[in-house]
Amino acid sequence: MSQRKYSAVKDRRTDGDSGLDNLSHWLIHRAARHTPDSLPQRMQEEWLADMAARTSALSRLRFAIGCCWATLVIAHQRPLVRMPVGAAVVAHPNLVRFSRRSSTLFLVVSLHVAVFYGVVSTLSHTHPGAPPPAPLQTREVPVTRPRELLSRLDPQMAQVTLDVHRPELDLNYEPDLSDVAAKFVEEPSHAGTPPASAEPPAHPVRQVQGGPGAGFPDPDDFYPMLSRHLEEQGVATVKVCVAANGRLAADPALMQGTGRARLDEAALKLAKAGSGHYRATTEDGRPVDSCYPLNIRFRLKN
Amino acid sequence: MAKQERDVRMSLQTLRVLEAFLESPTERLSGADVHQRCGIASGTLYPILLRLESAGWFVSQWESIDPSSAGRPRRRLYRLTSTGLRRASDVFASFNRGVLV
Repeated sequence: MSQRKYSAVKDRRTDGDSGLDNLSHWLIHRAARHTPDSLPQRMQEEWLADMAARTSALSRLRFAIGCCWATLVIAHQRPLVRMPVGAAVVAHPNLVRFSRRSSTLFLVVSLHVAVFYGVVSTLSHTHPGAPPPAPLQTREVPVTRPRELLSRLDPQMAQVTLDVHRPELDLNYEPDLSDVAAKFVEEPSHAGTPPASAEPPAHPVRQVQGGPGAGFPDPDDFYPMLSRHLEEQGVATVKVCVAANGRLAADPALMQGTGRARLDEAALKLAKAGSGHYRATTEDGRPVDSCYPLNIRFRLKN
Repeated sequence: MAKQERDVRMSLQTLRVLEAFLESPTERLSGADVHQRCGIASGTLYPILLRLESAGWFVSQWESIDPSSAGRPRRRLYRLTSTGLRRASDVFASFNRGVLV
């Protein structure tokens, strides 16, 4: 009971969403009260505590609605669920009524409230001060042919005919490009200096690719317990972008997986945890930013 | 107890709950923790927890904190029993054998 008081006080502290929170609490009290056997007190306290871990009022309401459903499922599986408290199995008198009528009503009301809350919160977040856009107005423009328009302006002008001669163009002209080609060939000798866009002479750069350095985490520390148990092994290839100081410049990305989601996730965690312990790629002995593939092997040892 | 163990129905959600506990078998998890790891909704999660507890796979107890000093209500924490650990391991091992064949 003290738990209920605590939760009620805590909920009054939250402002703005108190209406939804009150509804959520009411749903949970109602749902827990209709759990069978010796469960009501326990489920109420457990659900209220777990609901308090949710961050948003809508999430808490979803949780409370789920608890209503959980009550029905628990009641349905009640022959299988005998809690080890030694309590006698007593049928709850209101169970049937709750499952058929009240729960449906609760669900319908809750869904309506959730939808209404979602619509209101969405509308309140979309530029509250901005005026609504003006509706588009369309106007039909009458199409008038040029000659009709001319006859309206001056009836005499409508009788005038214009003779336009087509220009005579010779499109079979073939320019003589020999002079241009000769000039193009001779031009570098006239300039005397190489063009500005010419590249400097190639200078060989000695590049040494980086990799895991001193203090890099041990893959065994990131081997998922379940994968060990299931004897999952494999090699994951992760793309890492390492800055000159040995830290990751971006989140690592999986290039080729092991075929096991757990191991792939562990490989990404390992690559991320190794930030600061990478050897940077060097060019002529100077560390530079670079991206390169990193193979991470998960292998079980006998 | 043996009969109750056989009564546990292995749905996909049940396997996900067991997987969350097998990640660190000695850790005690609340319903909120399991939801955070598996993403299973409360309407499905709590019946599974109760079912596994009644079958002897889990034991649960209240968190030993003072709600007023902790600033939050105490939670119900679940933990795998040795029976649960063995049975869950057998279940996953059987699935694994099926995949490897």
